[in-house]
Amino acid sequence: MQRRHRTLPELKASESAQAISFTDPSLACKLTAMGVLPGAVIEMVRKSPFGDAFYIKVDGIRLALRNEEAQSILLTD
Amino acid sequence: MLGKMERSDKVLKVGLIGNPNSGKSTVFNQLTGLRQKTGNFPGVTVEVKEGRFTLPKGQVVSLIDFPGAYSLYPTSTDEKVLVEVLTNTSDTNYPDLLVFVADVTHLEKHLLLFTQVLDLNIPTILALNMSDVAEEEGIKVNPSRLSAQLQAPVVFISGRTGENLPQLIQSIEQLSESKERWKSSFYKMNNDEQRISEAVCQNFACTNPYRALLLAHHKDWLRFLSPAEHATLDTIVHTKQFQSLLQQVDETMVRYDQFTPIVRDTVQQPSVFPVTTTDRIDAILTHRIAGPFIFLGVMLLVFMVIFYGYEITGGWVESTMAWLIEGAEYVLQPISSGWVVDFVTKGVLEGFKGVLVFVPQIALLSLLIALLEEVGYLARAVFMFDKLMRRFGMNGRSIVALISGGACAVPAIKGTRTIGNWKERLITILVTPFISCSARIPVYMVLIPVALPNANWWVWAQVFGAMYLLGVVAALGSGWLLNKLMKTREATFLALEMPVYRVPHWKNVWLTVVDKVSNFVSGVWKPILVITSALWFLSSFGPGDVTEKAALSAAKDIEAGLTSDSLRSDLEASYRLEYSWAGKLGKTIEPVIQPLGYDWKIGIGILSSFLAREVFNSTMYIIYSLESVGAEEEEAAGDQSPFERYSSLKDKMALDTHRDSREKIYTPATGLSLLVFYALAMQCMSTLVVVKNETGRWRWAVLQFLFMGVLAYALSWITFVLVNFIG
Repeated sequence: MQRRHRTLPELKASESAQAISFTDPSLACKLTAMGVLPGAVIEMVRKSPFGDAFYIKVDGIRLALRNEEAQSILLTD
Repeated sequence: MLGKMERSDKVLKVGLIGNPNSGKSTVFNQLTGLRQKTGNFPGVTVEVKEGRFTLPKGQVVSLIDFPGAYSLYPTSTDEKVLVEVLTNTSDTNYPDLLVFVADVTHLEKHLLLFTQVLDLNIPTILALNMSDVAEEEGIKVNPSRLSAQLQAPVVFISGRTGENLPQLIQSIEQLSESKERWKSSFYKMNNDEQRISEAVCQNFACTNPYRALLLAHHKDWLRFLSPAEHATLDTIVHTKQFQSLLQQVDETMVRYDQFTPIVRDTVQQPSVFPVTTTDRIDAILTHRIAGPFIFLGVMLLVFMVIFYGYEITGGWVESTMAWLIEGAEYVLQPISSGWVVDFVTKGVLEGFKGVLVFVPQIALLSLLIALLEEVGYLARAVFMFDKLMRRFGMNGRSIVALISGGACAVPAIKGTRTIGNWKERLITILVTPFISCSARIPVYMVLIPVALPNANWWVWAQVFGAMYLLGVVAALGSGWLLNKLMKTREATFLALEMPVYRVPHWKNVWLTVVDKVSNFVSGVWKPILVITSALWFLSSFGPGDVTEKAALSAAKDIEAGLTSDSLRSDLEASYRLEYSWAGKLGKTIEPVIQPLGYDWKIGIGILSSFLAREVFNSTMYIIYSLESVGAEEEEAAGDQSPFERYSSLKDKMALDTHRDSREKIYTPATGLSLLVFYALAMQCMSTLVVVKNETGRWRWAVLQFLFMGVLAYALSWITFVLVNFIG
């Protein structure tokens, strides 16, 4: 049986985890082009004031992602 | 328009490309300076800048600044433009060679697009930007090694300091003169991709295998493909069962795997990313609670600067216009008839003023917004407000437009170009004019005390605030409604890079301001001239000899002892307006506006406000025979506290009565209803013209005009009825 992976929104502020893969090919296309790659360590910096958006850091790059974009990123435990 | 730009075989077309935040525009500005102009790519509202410079041996270069992109698999209209040009070798903007600007401090993020472009077989120079920052951060690069491994010339530059730009120029010259056929290929296609590429090549004039593959990937939106070509590609993709999206991700990953070792080999980076100043600033500026308040504070500051800027520069505009009108009269009076002088001073120059009053506002606003953008703060605002704005059919990027709309909708609407999703951008454009702009302030200042003569200063200030609130509610409410009505298949993304905070590059800021102002002026002056001339005609001519009739009526009034002889010319002006087509029109629409409590005079005021809302006041001065008083009072307005201004106009309006019933016109019900109307109606021709320019069609401008008009009418009527009911 396949174990359910954590997704990015489950990270707490300033927690980090490694990305494994993506659930949505079109978002994967966008995210990989911006430097979010499987194997990269993602740090959750903070959530947005009104929720639903995340400030993350990947390899020294700072990105803002929406909930559905962040949810498409699967993480290691 | 880029399509119309002069082109000759002698000009070398160089495309400037790179990721967003690579410092590309700084390089562009450094290379071309003021020799640049902005246009749109044919058929889309994506901005393109073209600039010129000359190579040492005299070759003229036309440098085309393409929108920033992350890859040749685009997600926004901006990025699509690049693909559309690069996949079509007969495109007018197809470059002879490319300069690829990459941020050397994050090189591995920038090489994806670079290696894709390499595979298209266009001679490309890799310009490693931000050499100054690299030095600070202890990043060391071996350019010749990198060049050998990527098989492309590499130049290490700094757009900010201008370091090594001569070398870049030299490199462009060398590459353009090189007789060797440029050959480069980086990525090796997998079997599926190869099959597709070959099949496409059999059916199309094949210039390059990777370009053929891109045609198959992007067949659904590339506009240069004919229906027949599109059908052929459809068949190929279908029969070969080509999984475009999965292949795109695959290709991206393989490319990364290929160039990451090259970067490791040639660039020495510190292995850990320390907590930087940017992180420390963001801990405060994007803080979950403090962040939005700081943003509102910043915007309040921007707003105040524009507001006071308007007060100051408004005076300059007035005195410039007075000087121009005097000059025109001096020159024209001896050589032409009265009508010509009148047309020039009240028609043409009024239109000129209609353009001129916006110039300082646009300059100031674009200066402040460019500063915030350059520093890197705007991206943070987008991050913080994305969720909130999406509820109303917009996205985080819309917050800047809406707040700028508090100064003036014209530059605010022009600023919506950063919004990638068309529907979200359109909604932002359509609702921004609801926000009370600075041109509404003088009208509010007159109408509030007239509507509520017995109230005190404190109540007036509250009504003033309520007008702003009404605008915000109307903007968000209609955004919500439009979001429900409009359907789109276009995906919407936030996925936004937040750049490192930096001191603004002043040349960029300055060139942005120059660009915005000249763009505005060249875009609006023609339609505005037409509309002002039409309004001048309507208010100067009428059935029969208007001047004669007006002189007779004025003489009759004076004989009857209703007014003194000293006011004769003011009275004649007032009657002229009443007897003109505009006056007729005001009376014709009286039945329509009567339910709102308005008479024909207000009708004329509303009609003339279309020039710009503050024209309401000067029209009212003429109607109430105060033309000569008006100029003095408007001039003195700057020295008085807001609600004390325009006193004689307010006195006259407060006393005016309906002809038959002898009841007062400006009851609280009428006054408040008129305030609501001015808050909500679309009464600004400049905004309409800009909406047309930005959306590419009159259709949206007309729809917006009708929508805002109907809403204004309905809510004004409700206000009138309600206030009358309450008593």
